[in-house]
Amino acid sequence: MESFQPEYDKNGVLSDTFWKTPQRAIPGRPCQRVGQSEVMSGSSYQQFQASVNDAWDLGDDDIISGIAETRISKAISQTVALNVINSHRNSNKNVNKSDVKVETDNVKSENEAKVVKRNEVKKVGSGAGVSSGIMRPYPGRPRPVRLSALTSREESNESKLERFQQLQENAVVDLNELKQLSWSGIPVKVRAITWRLLAGYLPANTERRAETLQRKRADYKHLVRQYYDAERDDDTYRQIHIDIPRMSPLVALFQQSTVQVMFERILYIWAIRHPASGYVQGINDLVTPFFMVFLQEAAPGEELDNFPLDKLTEEQRDIIEADSFWCLSKFLDSIQDNYIFAQLGIQYKVNQLKELIKRIDKPLHEHLQNHGVDYLQFSFRWMNNLLTREIPLACSIRLWDTYLAESDGFATFQLYVCAAFLLHWRERLLLERDFQGLMILLQNVPTQNWTDSNISMLVAEAYKLKFAFADAPNHLQSDR
Amino acid sequence: MGTREDEYDYLFKVVLIGDSGVGKSSLLSRFTRNEFNLESKSTIGVEFATRSIEVDGKTIKAQIWDTAGQERYRAITSAYYRGAVGALLVYDIAKHLSYENVERWLRELRDHADQNILIMLVGNKSDLRHLRSIPTEEAKAFAEKNGLSFIETSALDSTNVEPAFQNILTEIYRIVSQKQMRDQPEGDVIRPDAEPADARPSQADSVRKQCCQ
Repeated sequence: MESFQPEYDKNGVLSDTFWKTPQRAIPGRPCQRVGQSEVMSGSSYQQFQASVNDAWDLGDDDIISGIAETRISKAISQTVALNVINSHRNSNKNVNKSDVKVETDNVKSENEAKVVKRNEVKKVGSGAGVSSGIMRPYPGRPRPVRLSALTSREESNESKLERFQQLQENAVVDLNELKQLSWSGIPVKVRAITWRLLAGYLPANTERRAETLQRKRADYKHLVRQYYDAERDDDTYRQIHIDIPRMSPLVALFQQSTVQVMFERILYIWAIRHPASGYVQGINDLVTPFFMVFLQEAAPGEELDNFPLDKLTEEQRDIIEADSFWCLSKFLDSIQDNYIFAQLGIQYKVNQLKELIKRIDKPLHEHLQNHGVDYLQFSFRWMNNLLTREIPLACSIRLWDTYLAESDGFATFQLYVCAAFLLHWRERLLLERDFQGLMILLQNVPTQNWTDSNISMLVAEAYKLKFAFADAPNHLQSDR
Repeated sequence: MGTREDEYDYLFKVVLIGDSGVGKSSLLSRFTRNEFNLESKSTIGVEFATRSIEVDGKTIKAQIWDTAGQERYRAITSAYYRGAVGALLVYDIAKHLSYENVERWLRELRDHADQNILIMLVGNKSDLRHLRSIPTEEAKAFAEKNGLSFIETSALDSTNVEPAFQNILTEIYRIVSQKQMRDQPEGDVIRPDAEPADARPSQADSVRKQCCQ
């Protein structure tokens, strides 16, 4: 992996030009308008406090304290993962019998899952062979969002929905149990409320919910007035303003100015409140799943691709916006180092990915290395955008069910998801004979037809990898 | 070697740099696929594309790296300048700030790229005549002063996109082939797996000096 060099000049001093220092007030810092001496003097402590209290949210802590102790046990989540594999295997078996000759000679018991996967690879391979010339998506070429896919599927799983509903009827929702249930996917009908709970935004205690939501939504409005409606930081705003219109250029929903302004406010306020990272291109894509899930809740059963947002009441729109903001904030907490200076969190994870693949799939690793493909070149975007650029939106939403249900945040798990994603394409990658072919494939992996079941397989694979390697850094490390 | 259509005589690595939203990705998609989307998604990190052209009966394969414009990405993207023999430094003729920042981008190249890299200043969005804020002559003079070649393009209506890439690739080719004649060529083909930096134009510096005097 190529290591990067931060912007040091020859004397080892950080050059001052590119990394601008923010000119504007930062939450938690003494307000610029208050004079230095005033701030320091004891008599004006209250003034000081008033100038920095925008860094705190009333109630941030009491919500977090509820989920601090909840951990999902490995045994349980493994069971869930196995269930996913089993159900997928069963559903796939039928398909395989009908249109693919199952290789029966070496197929027995535990190998079955692998065979199913191999067949899948073949199917994908042959299908894409026919259509790759026309269908291949290129970076920058807008992909259809196919929001309609959000409503289908899974819904049939009535018993699962019932379990969610039963669980959420309790006065205090057992978050542990909710996570176990959610890890393998959340039914559409209960997704919005479940995401709020899993993100730690909505209190587990039913009695406190109405009051908390009311307060947080009012807090958000206050933040909008304080930061967005006031004088804005030009650089941050400009970048967001450039990026929003080109997020999903072909989807009418996102071309409405109402929607674009909502995204702008969410991102701008998030950026101002997170000065260590600020807005980084790509974070805009991370708002979309929250936005869609809360929109779907407000407009159930509607075709969302063309949904005119003005059909909703102002209050409904405010709820979508505020809840998207708070859930995004909670969601990004565990991966903030992805977006700080030099994006060190991502660089670290890219290195881990490389080490991992080297250990578990040496032929693939060497194939990439021999053709000069560097992990940073393809996996940076995977990690920066949490695969939102690589898979359809409906799949991202399904993937986030699992991310939100990961006990210790998904920062670590994400690495294994990327590893599983890379390994998914290994056969096709091994067929590529040069750098160009490898890079073009890695930047445009054909996931157009992916559905929830692909994601269920992916996270199950990721879980297996994490289970085997996360706590055993020397496992399989034979060459050292 | 790969199949016939994969064959080429030279492989040159070129980077596309410049402020966010000036149209780097659009130039790339226009050149490599003859496509244009009015709004294409922001580039995350770097993205890669390739196209071959013919010069003097030789096939030149351009390996083009499109970089993210946002400052935050610079630590990542500057790693990709290594081995590049050409750079298209793009600004938006309707956005003055993107032109002001050209100096910063030049410094960025000086700090991270090969010192002999050929640089072409590209004023994109020339179709926005009514919104123009940088006169052609001003940019041209700036380019001459700094030893850069210069062209105005429009990825939207295709104006000059082909010539922009053709010119820089041809210029690189001339320098490299001159160098090969002088240095006793070891063979015509630069293998795909060879570091593209092997094609580094060592005379670029002197050529540049000639043109700016």
